[in-house]
Amino acid sequence: MEIARDNIMNDVFDTYLSVKFELMKYLKTRRLLIIAALAIIIPLIFYVKVPDTAGVFAANVLTFLNVLIVISAAMFAGDAVCSEFEKKTNLLSFPTPQRRSSIFAGKYIAALLATFLVVLLYYVVMMLQIAQLYGWGAIPTELGKSFLTALLFSAAAASVVFFFSAVLKRSISSTIVGFLFLMVVLRVVEGILTRVNQEPWFIVTYSAGLITDVLGVSSSLGMGHGEGPSTLTAFTPHFGVGIAVMIVYAIVFFVSGMLIASRKED
Amino acid sequence: MEYAIRTESLIKRYGKDFTALDGVSLQIKKGEVVGYVGPNGAGKTTTIKILTGLIKPSSGHAYVNGIDVTASPRQALRTIGSLIEVPGVYDYLTPREMLTYFGKVYRMGGVEIDHRIKKTLELVRLSEWEHKKIGTFSTGMQRRLTIAKAILHKPDNLILDEPVLGLDPEGIRDVRALIRQFRNEGMTVFLSSHLLGEVAEVCNTVVFLNKGKVVSSDSMDRIGSTMERKVVDVKFLKPLSRDEIEKLRAIELVRSVDVNDNAARLLYDGQPDSSVQILRRLVSLNFDVVSYNVESAGLEDYYVSVMGEEKGQSDGNS
Repeated sequence: MEIARDNIMNDVFDTYLSVKFELMKYLKTRRLLIIAALAIIIPLIFYVKVPDTAGVFAANVLTFLNVLIVISAAMFAGDAVCSEFEKKTNLLSFPTPQRRSSIFAGKYIAALLATFLVVLLYYVVMMLQIAQLYGWGAIPTELGKSFLTALLFSAAAASVVFFFSAVLKRSISSTIVGFLFLMVVLRVVEGILTRVNQEPWFIVTYSAGLITDVLGVSSSLGMGHGEGPSTLTAFTPHFGVGIAVMIVYAIVFFVSGMLIASRKED
Repeated sequence: MEYAIRTESLIKRYGKDFTALDGVSLQIKKGEVVGYVGPNGAGKTTTIKILTGLIKPSSGHAYVNGIDVTASPRQALRTIGSLIEVPGVYDYLTPREMLTYFGKVYRMGGVEIDHRIKKTLELVRLSEWEHKKIGTFSTGMQRRLTIAKAILHKPDNLILDEPVLGLDPEGIRDVRALIRQFRNEGMTVFLSSHLLGEVAEVCNTVVFLNKGKVVSSDSMDRIGSTMERKVVDVKFLKPLSRDEIEKLRAIELVRSVDVNDNAARLLYDGQPDSSVQILRRLVSLNFDVVSYNVESAGLEDYYVSVMGEEKGQSDGNS
């Protein structure tokens, strides 16, 4: 019992060390700085056309948050596992009294924290813009719900990229494949299903639509839907289902990635 | 007796067709410096990767200080310092930042980490580079830094896999000097190398591995006495004439003579006195001797003999 508790304590401490070490990497390589700069600059672009209400402004700004989350997840989680083998730093870090699972869990958590920070920055900048344009009182109360949904999508996206990092051998491959999977593959599947009048409820990028949907206003950048035989059916994700899908993606891809990473031999 | 490093019938298979290790059993006493030699693909790195917990054996056990590496890696790896192949370094960090992280991994306190970083960087001659980015280091400096990492926590056992690979002569000299220092401090060193000169220079025991099996294991002293060549190589100023060759053959202590242009290999009884007598005789016979080398124990020849090749094959041209 005592030994098991010691092991758990050691694992927790090793994970904490790995998180710190990985965050230091993000800072030293200026990766965090670049993505954080994007999180500040992108909302500023929306000054170009200011809509009448704060809700629509928020919906417009948040339209691009999904892309930023995917970029962020790809940049931070893309090399989490494979870089250790590719750069052979595993020959330094593995023959030490820490479990591989602690090292990789730390790397995943660091990627998650960095992405959360980027999302937080995005919301803060957006709220400051709303306050400046419409007054503090105009900030939509639903933004909190939207923020939490965005964090959940961040976790799902980071898990997906982390999985590819465990499966593939090169950091550049896992970063690109992770990004394309979330930005292109899933969206193509989503598009095909929508075309045949099937709701793509199990696609995580579809669920990510909740980030703006919870505001209860449609973005002025959104596509309109006409009527007639060639018209696309407009689906909107159900809140409960969407949240569940994001949680499932986050857990399944993270656990799969961890299992592969812990058993990986070079 | 508790060995510093011990393996029991280690087997490592990759797929159905390839067996990298085929029942390797090793016993390394505390304070021994053991060379682990063999041709490429013999299984040296595989053994070391198992000993350092990087891979798991298909069957068998590896123990460090009596602790099973596979069953209790955390406890076993605490007592090991390792340098495996050519590890990558965190080029965006400074040596201090990298070593501080590993110090914490080994649960060293802040003061101890600080003290050991200074001490180990001094040992590997990197003190002045403590706060410089590792990315700016030469290959030799990076290797010395990874050695500093390996000994940071004052391990009982040091496991080194081809530690001088890719280093320039100065780097090689530095690393060998460090290994000798570790030996003198009583550290157990397990050194995998394909450089027999290196092994002969720093090790007191040698284990020969071929095709995943230990084919021989002995102390350097015993190998030396077994392989005494009883040969002296002489170089002359100019090629020898027929008469001069006959004069060489006539020297009573010389058993046989092989001449190649201006060089000759003389076989004798191996006694130091005899070697002196032969040299004196050469001088008295007015031979212009440029160099005179009594061959030391031939680890290379021993290596060839235990690997199953014909001894003397390499002497064919002499």
